[in-house]
Amino acid sequence: MTTAHTTAGTAAGTAAGAAAGFTPDESFTPEGEYRFENSREAVRRMPFPFPDDDYMYSMNLEPHVPAGDGALRAAFDIDEHYVSECRHRAQMLEELPGVHYPALPHMLEAQWDLLELIFESYARDFPEHFTLTKNGNEWRWENRLLGLDDTFTFGDPSTLPMDPMEYATRQAQGEFVVLEEKDGTLVIGAGMTTQRADYSLQFNLGMSFFEFHGPVPKLHEMGILDRALKFLLRMKPGHPVRRVNWSLTVHPRLETSVETLPDWAPDRAKVTPENAGDLVHLRIELQPLHRLPRSNAIVFPVRTYLVSLAELVEHAPDWAKRMHRALASLDPELVDYKGFHRYHGAAVAWLAQHDDGAPLDTGYPWNGGIQPGAV
Amino acid sequence: MLITGIKSRPVYDELTPMPSGLRHVAAGQGSGGGPLVRLLGVMTPEQRAVTTVLYSVESFTGRNHLAEIEGFRTAGLQVFPSNVEAVEGLDALLAGTTMGTRLYLAGSEGFIGTSMQVATRYGLNRDEVLREHAGSFVRRVWCAHCSHYTENVSRRVFECPGCGRHLVVRDHYSGRLAAFQGVKADGEVPGEMPDDEELDT
Repeated sequence: MTTAHTTAGTAAGTAAGAAAGFTPDESFTPEGEYRFENSREAVRRMPFPFPDDDYMYSMNLEPHVPAGDGALRAAFDIDEHYVSECRHRAQMLEELPGVHYPALPHMLEAQWDLLELIFESYARDFPEHFTLTKNGNEWRWENRLLGLDDTFTFGDPSTLPMDPMEYATRQAQGEFVVLEEKDGTLVIGAGMTTQRADYSLQFNLGMSFFEFHGPVPKLHEMGILDRALKFLLRMKPGHPVRRVNWSLTVHPRLETSVETLPDWAPDRAKVTPENAGDLVHLRIELQPLHRLPRSNAIVFPVRTYLVSLAELVEHAPDWAKRMHRALASLDPELVDYKGFHRYHGAAVAWLAQHDDGAPLDTGYPWNGGIQPGAV
Repeated sequence: MLITGIKSRPVYDELTPMPSGLRHVAAGQGSGGGPLVRLLGVMTPEQRAVTTVLYSVESFTGRNHLAEIEGFRTAGLQVFPSNVEAVEGLDALLAGTTMGTRLYLAGSEGFIGTSMQVATRYGLNRDEVLREHAGSFVRRVWCAHCSHYTENVSRRVFECPGCGRHLVVRDHYSGRLAAFQGVKADGEVPGEMPDDEELDT
């Protein structure tokens, strides 16, 4: 039996530049001067989250089945930023150990479940980049984008250089929070969250479904949480569901945790109607939830897409118009909760210049709804 | 960022004897002595005879119920000068307990929370523990930026002894850390503070 000798974090970026269509040298940090941009194709394949001119919360859960040829084609989507995001994850884990990846000790079975789900999905949906070969419990994992070729024994943590969940998610785009079912609710048991939007995972670890949703306004009153929990508890392995969510972030900054708020919150005061197009980024969250087969845990992934308002206008003009209307009519409580009350007006004013008021289709783009628009 | 009106805070109980218990541990602090006295008063003599009481005389409000507690005939009374030592005493006591033990906690939110951390380590379930809040509403606060814990925080905005930042205390509570969350108060514009207020809820 051989064991894994390379680690995802250190290998990221070395063999990677070779793969066509990937932009391995991006940066999501001020130290790296936010070297980040989207190609036209990358923008137009995003899971655009505004089906109507008015936005309000809803459960908006639907079966996670392949739809279209964009971000909804694969179980776990990767795009041109994959290599850069993996390197960013490694960097964040190194800078703040214990803050982005906590796992309660009894979550090991769920960790293996998650590794299997990610690797099987990647190998099935992107065979040109990933290969998983199983010989009983002896598994070989080839990740050509990161230059990895590892073998390990499924279920035996000693054959991996780190926790199974850390090993798998260092090679995955997006965040992964694992919820265990306990006492009729879902409790946070582990998470890989180097791209958190304004919360602390070490603080939330061990919280129940209602507790970790505590800071979100309106959900309780609207009855959404009760219905969502009942729905999730009925989930079965092999029948994932998905929803989309969104927020705004100043700069293409992936890591906006509560812990590092003193580093990034001042940026919110720098936005003006003149610079909003370049500074303000729509942060789209694609959340494909899966029930895990052995542990009965549920994994809550958050795949984040960043796109500046200017990129939207340039590459997806109809989406920019829709976003203008959704932002302009947004409930003030949500503006405050999502943390952009200080620059909400500037973003709306900047987008207004690019909205001619033409009627737009309703519905999500992957279901035949609003398309990015002619460019 | 939501500061108030967050629904992650514990919902507390009223201490009443749990009839299924074979053995009882009642731990309190300061004003929490009041609920302990009430609990012991409604217990049967048989229940009291298998009840161990732990009491810390540390109190934010200055209330001391030791004399009243000493008036009950129990399986034992342990008195501690501080809450930290009482929680350590609870840890030592639970290390030697068996199935059928029921736990009663009374006092400040910080005392109850840190005691719950110990109880959770020994696998006590929520239906084997009753918690009653008593006394002041001072809070134990975790600084999200330097991980320092500050006990007995009584204002919405305070200076973190760990990193010197002004923190705003959110009504967001972590049972695992037994603490509320403190976040830089003037994060967006230095010196621009949110409204301060007494934490009286």
